[in-house]
Amino acid sequence: MTAAPAVISVADLHKAYGEVHAVNGVSFQVGKGEVFGLLGPNGAGKTTTVEILEGLNTSDSGQVRVLGIDPGRDPGQLKERIGVQLQTAALYPNLTVAELIALFGSFYARPRPTADLIKQFDLEERQHGLSKELSGGQRQRLSVALAMVNDPELIFLDEPTTGLDPQARRSLWDQIDGLRREGRTVVMTTHYMEEAEQLCDRVAIMDHGHILEMGTVNEVVTSHFKERTIGFATRPEVTDERLRGLHAVTSVAHDVDETLVYTTDVPATISDLLRLADELGVTGLDLSVRRPTLEDVFLALTGRALRD
Amino acid sequence: MGTLRGLGPLTVANIKSYYRDRSALFWTLAFPVIFVVLFGSIFSSSGPSTFNIGWVDQDNSAASAQLRQGFASVNLIVLKDGTLDDALSQMRNGSLDAVIVVPAGLGAALSADGGTTTAAAAPFQLTVYTDPSRSTQSSTIEQVVAQVVNGINQSLSGKPPALAIATQTVQTENISSAAYFVPSILAMALMQLGIFAAIPLTGQREKLILKRLGATPLSRGTLVASNVLMRLLIAVVQTVIIVGIGAALFGVEIVGSPWLVAGLVVLGAVTFLSIGYLIASFARTEDTANTLASVVQFPLMFLSGIFFPIAFMPQWLQPVAAFLPLTYLGDALRQTMVGGSAYAPLWFDMVVLAGWLIATYLISARYFRWQ
Repeated sequence: MTAAPAVISVADLHKAYGEVHAVNGVSFQVGKGEVFGLLGPNGAGKTTTVEILEGLNTSDSGQVRVLGIDPGRDPGQLKERIGVQLQTAALYPNLTVAELIALFGSFYARPRPTADLIKQFDLEERQHGLSKELSGGQRQRLSVALAMVNDPELIFLDEPTTGLDPQARRSLWDQIDGLRREGRTVVMTTHYMEEAEQLCDRVAIMDHGHILEMGTVNEVVTSHFKERTIGFATRPEVTDERLRGLHAVTSVAHDVDETLVYTTDVPATISDLLRLADELGVTGLDLSVRRPTLEDVFLALTGRALRD
Repeated sequence: MGTLRGLGPLTVANIKSYYRDRSALFWTLAFPVIFVVLFGSIFSSSGPSTFNIGWVDQDNSAASAQLRQGFASVNLIVLKDGTLDDALSQMRNGSLDAVIVVPAGLGAALSADGGTTTAAAAPFQLTVYTDPSRSTQSSTIEQVVAQVVNGINQSLSGKPPALAIATQTVQTENISSAAYFVPSILAMALMQLGIFAAIPLTGQREKLILKRLGATPLSRGTLVASNVLMRLLIAVVQTVIIVGIGAALFGVEIVGSPWLVAGLVVLGAVTFLSIGYLIASFARTEDTANTLASVVQFPLMFLSGIFFPIAFMPQWLQPVAAFLPLTYLGDALRQTMVGGSAYAPLWFDMVVLAGWLIATYLISARYFRWQ
């Protein structure tokens, strides 16, 4: 795994809400300076796992150590050293950006200067604006800035870019990348595979409270796919049965409105596919060929697309 | 834990948030002021002002003119002359409060008597029309008329009165309407301040603000303490405003110890704030909290002797009043602020409020959820 000492170690973590096993035997480690991503659809158990690590939730069983501290035992000491950004957590609507940063700083023993954070997260223009008047991207940047007020060694980001437009998302990615360059350890949850591919050193794919796959993005993808992906617009005439019969095809999957054919020999499959289309009288397939992504892995693992 | 770090900044932040929320500002500051001004004006106008009384003289003698002068000399009374029909229709439309009729034959009766009334002769009858639906006012008018008639009887008989009444007022009796309303409305304002705290509290939980604060080293005790501090500060501002308006507009003076009043304001505010937390313990959303707070507030407002003394309530409702905490806060404040007559002994008021505080605190501590 990683040579650096573990900042987080989790062994056989369980948490149930009544009948629902939100977290069902999760184990992983995160090394110092790593950006670690927990991926999965809503309800996969990512948020519950992270909240247990943050000391906001209790576990039913399992071993958890964060910065050497058991969050269930000494959450106070832990909270002093970690930074937390919560999914969709609102802020006091009637306080300004600068007031909120100063307020959150006052909760910690050694807060960073408010002006530094405002500058770092590009909030100078809005520092005297009320938080309720911020745009989605500004609000998320403020939310991450608040997670940084205590200069934490370890930062948790829960779905940091959900609901942002692509430009705001990229700007926040730059900020998160900056945290990595500062040598901080980051644990983030997301259901955007592209985000994980951009930012994360290692990922764990979760579903129904289990970790299905873990490793670097490259490891996770290549462990599932030696193949490449050929995608085309789904047509009812082109059945999975016919596709599986094509040369070098290993499997077939469906994304929202795209059919995905996995192949070990791209040219052979394409020429077969074109012949099939010709035979069925289908035109305008809108073909694309790409390396498989985490999206494909998730589809293969669960039979579902991530972003529903 | 147990550290108070962040208490000051969080309290300041709460006050800023509150001050910038215009609707909260209106409900906690302007609303009680409007109540005091409104109720004070409506009810104090029926107090020591004057009565318009129709004077129907069907005798037109020297004696009736003398009688008229007797009534006219009373400060409280303004006489309006007219026929009986006129006067009665004016009374029905509200421009007259009562009508006094002097039937024909007064002058004759008095002169036949030789200027003295004897026990043997039946006394001459004046007719007074009053409105029974305005009982307080009517009884005051009847008293005034009886006094004037008495005085005239004495002067006619030439005998000094065998018995006289020296009236003395005692502060605790018969307080004016405004004096009743000022402490009552202060009690109501403190009740609303506490109970409606459930709405922002539930909102902060619903919007995960409480959860986000829970991810910092800020302790829950500090969080609650800051909320209580802010509300107490508002309670003090409310008290100053309400008492100030009471004194400026209606001359309502604080007769009791200001420290005792302050202590009761704090006890009342904290008790109702605890009830606010109780509501927030059982409301999942801000909307539910709003509904619950309103449902709790209305019986408190109308069944706790805020707008009229509990003795005026129907018998079957009075036990309800005896259960409600606002009854005791209102009673305690009336006793200490204006010397109002006691519904219960002051110590009992405080014990009941403390009981409500402890009970609701324990239930809230058990059921309040932070996320």
